[in-house]
Amino acid sequence: MSTTTAASGAAVEKPRGRVASLLLDDHRYVFLGTSAIALVGLILANQPHPVSSFLALSYAAESVLYYVLVAWVVVSAVALVNKLVRWRDYAVTSPFASPVARRVERIASYVICAVVCVFFADRCAVGFLDLVAYATTSTSNPDDFWVSSIYMLYNMRGVYLSGIVTTIVLAVFGTIIAFFLALLLVFLRIQAIDRSDNDFVRFVKVVGSGFARVYSTVVRGTPMMVQSLIIYFGGIGLLQGTGMTVAQTREVWSPFTAALVTISLNSTAYMMEVLRSGIGAVDFGQTEAARSLGLSQWQAMSKVVFPQGVKNSIPALSNELIINLKDSSVLSAISVVDLMFATTTIAGAYYRQMQIYVVAMATYLVLTLVASKLLDMLSHRLDAGDLGPVLGTSDALPAAKEH
Amino acid sequence: MATEHVSAPGSSEPLIRVEDLHKSFGSNVVLRGIDLSVSQGEVVTIIGASGSGKSTLLRCINLLETPDSGHVWFHGEDLTAEHVNVNRLRESIGMVFQGFNLFNNMNVLDNCMLAPVALKKCSKDEARERALTHLAEVGMGDFAGAQVTRLSGGQKQRVAIARALCMEPEIMLFDEPTSALDPEIVGEVLNVMRDLAAAGMTMVVVTHEMAFAKNVSDRVVFMDQGVIAEQGTPEKLFSNPEHARTREFLSRYLDDTNEGN
Repeated sequence: MSTTTAASGAAVEKPRGRVASLLLDDHRYVFLGTSAIALVGLILANQPHPVSSFLALSYAAESVLYYVLVAWVVVSAVALVNKLVRWRDYAVTSPFASPVARRVERIASYVICAVVCVFFADRCAVGFLDLVAYATTSTSNPDDFWVSSIYMLYNMRGVYLSGIVTTIVLAVFGTIIAFFLALLLVFLRIQAIDRSDNDFVRFVKVVGSGFARVYSTVVRGTPMMVQSLIIYFGGIGLLQGTGMTVAQTREVWSPFTAALVTISLNSTAYMMEVLRSGIGAVDFGQTEAARSLGLSQWQAMSKVVFPQGVKNSIPALSNELIINLKDSSVLSAISVVDLMFATTTIAGAYYRQMQIYVVAMATYLVLTLVASKLLDMLSHRLDAGDLGPVLGTSDALPAAKEH
Repeated sequence: MATEHVSAPGSSEPLIRVEDLHKSFGSNVVLRGIDLSVSQGEVVTIIGASGSGKSTLLRCINLLETPDSGHVWFHGEDLTAEHVNVNRLRESIGMVFQGFNLFNNMNVLDNCMLAPVALKKCSKDEARERALTHLAEVGMGDFAGAQVTRLSGGQKQRVAIARALCMEPEIMLFDEPTSALDPEIVGEVLNVMRDLAAAGMTMVVVTHEMAFAKNVSDRVVFMDQGVIAEQGTPEKLFSNPEHARTREFLSRYLDDTNEGN
């Protein structure tokens, strides 16, 4: 984009990010990109007006906006022809490519985008609000797919929202608890007998490491749904065995508590393996160097290897939160009112399945997208996110690693 | 504690004494009975072809490798005895690795301060002072706050030497300290080692730098096939080797050096 630098003058500016550059710099794709947007606007403009459309109030205003879009498409077409004709020296000789023209084109493209936004607001947003208004005031479940899903969501919003909250709470707290348990467990798991250990320490190490190994095998080798049932009913049985009444048992050992315990214990096993591989990826030379200085195995572990291993594991560990957001859905088996349970409840209440399951799927997707974005930011903050060039070469690396 | 091996204090006892050391990895026999002693203030270089067991011998001295049989005495204390406190003995045996092995999660200063502070050799302030002194000795005083991942190989190795010195060891083991460095940088590390030798540090150096072996060491040990084939003063070993194998090995090296110059 040589014209960009020419237009911005001699002043050396900080280069913008890709999105910011697309929006704020003069560039040669302004016709192409904005024409595509304008065409979308034209398609929207050709849709029928919704009931409470504001553009329907003024035919003149709508016509002006419509023809602004048409004009842009026409100018773009002229520019395209111009470019095809003068392919070799377009950038130098064409009136469309001069710095001043580029700036005007950029400002005009903002106007076009604004116009398209107006059409979008009129046709889509207002149309959607109409649907919502209709669905929320309807006394019976409408036949239309989307209207019906809005109707069901609106009328069962309490259950649905508490389902979302429960899912988030289960996933977030389950992951956090699991992380600390996994730290503990992986520490047991990687214990190796050291020469200077006495028999008691050796015994503890062997038992601890064996326990961690068995734990990981059993938990990762069985479905979480079965685990949740065993933990829930096992807990109830245990509490009733101590002489508690059913009501008391319910109070202490609710499905939610059992679900939280299940998801924590389950996630612990997976996180332990993640941590183990992260710690395993730390060069053994680090341990050797620490030991050669006289540090004990524990000191070498805790001060040198562990911090590096945990840092290695952060991307994979944060993935566990996303997995838990989704996998908590199987916990509806023990009737904890998570998002999945709420969804099946609503589906059962109205005998309509697809409508609400599609909404549930979208909700899960939004939850995981938000979570992964937040985790990305977190791991970036901890300077652990960048895996470096995996397929690319080193010059493809962004210049983000400067500190 | 293996008290029966503790000898009477006296200068006759060498600092390190290796006796009939055997070590094999699976079916691969690496050391076939090594006897070696290193006295206080001596600089011993170990040379030999790759796979002759030089590094393994060095790593057996501070028990990074556990010998299959044989003994390693340090100050008359048997390191190979069961339940000996290896950690305490390692405090007095510094080691420098081919791959530097600086702690990547810390900066240069923390690398040097970690062990002295963790092992309560001295207070934190004292450790910092000591670290800065040793870093200055190896010419890395200006890099105390630097992240180790951003240093060059030669700088890393010099920091590694300073880190080992911070424990104030009685002996330093060097495991091919310059093998991972390019020829231009080798000099800066060798100079540091030369200074160290001049200051009277007891050193055991596994190296392929024949010039260093020749000029700096008091004794050169030539290893071949897991045994010490020949040892002696550098003058004798380099100018008049007894063994055919030694002659062959050295001729190849000296040819290379001559061509290089």
